[in-house]
Amino acid sequence: MNSLLKKNLKSAFKGLQIEIPEKDRLIISAKKDTVLPILRFLKDTGYEHLALVSCVDWIEEKEFELIYILSAYMQKDSEYTDREKTNITLKTRISRENPDFFTVIPVFETAEPYEREIHELYGIHFEGHPRQVPLLLERNYKIPPFRKDFDTREYVKEVFDNIPFVEGRAGEE
Amino acid sequence: MDRNQLAKWFKEPVKMGHKYSLYAVYFCTGCGIIEIPPSITSRWDAERFGVIPVATPRQANLFLITGYVSVKTLKAIIRTYEQMPEPKYTVGFGSCPINGGMYWDSYNTIKHLDKYIPIDGWIAGCMPRPEAIFVAVTHLWTLIDKEMANGYKRYREKYTYYRANQEQLFGKLEWPPLFPIGDTHEQLAKKKS
Repeated sequence: MNSLLKKNLKSAFKGLQIEIPEKDRLIISAKKDTVLPILRFLKDTGYEHLALVSCVDWIEEKEFELIYILSAYMQKDSEYTDREKTNITLKTRISRENPDFFTVIPVFETAEPYEREIHELYGIHFEGHPRQVPLLLERNYKIPPFRKDFDTREYVKEVFDNIPFVEGRAGEE
Repeated sequence: MDRNQLAKWFKEPVKMGHKYSLYAVYFCTGCGIIEIPPSITSRWDAERFGVIPVATPRQANLFLITGYVSVKTLKAIIRTYEQMPEPKYTVGFGSCPINGGMYWDSYNTIKHLDKYIPIDGWIAGCMPRPEAIFVAVTHLWTLIDKEMANGYKRYREKYTYYRANQEQLFGKLEWPPLFPIGDTHEQLAKKKS
């Protein structure tokens, strides 16, 4: 079944890298501008569940990798028999200097909180996202905290260790 | 009730009442809260020690902070603590509130809880067993007996410093000060020079 999907994907989109590392897994590496059509194609094929949007910071290659994980609900289909067992990983890379991407909310509405989180923790701007406001954090960080060049120890020294103890302070009676 | 303590009950009924009715705020932070359900239910039965979780901080006088404290949670902790009526006792539970624990270099987890609110006792461990809660409660009884569990008094006395620390972390706080604020030592030194 995976080989059929692979064939269909290859015929629909040119220049895709598709791997099948093991049974019921499919890894698609796509270019930035083909992400939305591929997601739409997969959704039409029956992979209607966007489980996760994630991000990896490849600092040495100066790239961010965005990862979309899709799966399907139980549905009977004669063409794709093992569809509900398959996990699809869609990867794409964007440059680190100019981290602009577009939102996939038109295809998958569930991407909204994930993209908000990635915007907050990695500083990637999702164009067309309706609510890019902080989700989890309250503080303002100079560098978004999940980037590899964010030095947590220095930050902790600067912020939390600079706050003095109340009891046993110097200069008190 | 222990008969040996009968004299104490007649002498200091209020203190004894505080000791044996520690009502805990049902406030969950971090992973330590997983130890609370077995402690309050039939296996370990915290009510033997007079510890019951209550619905609101207005009815409570024991505050167990049960795990790592993120910056956002700290705000809720301070508000909850300030809403509790006096006398109130706080116990830091687990190693994370003590010095950060495994989150000692986290970007969003505060390291020392006692910089922001006063703490009467600590339970070390990651995680402490439910038995440790009862050891802590019995220790707290001793402290209350000797009037050493005076965190709420220290909070009132040194509110200037606690508030200064809270404001250093959060910027401007959304709620008015609970007690009148004076100048900290640093501000006094600045004014003198």
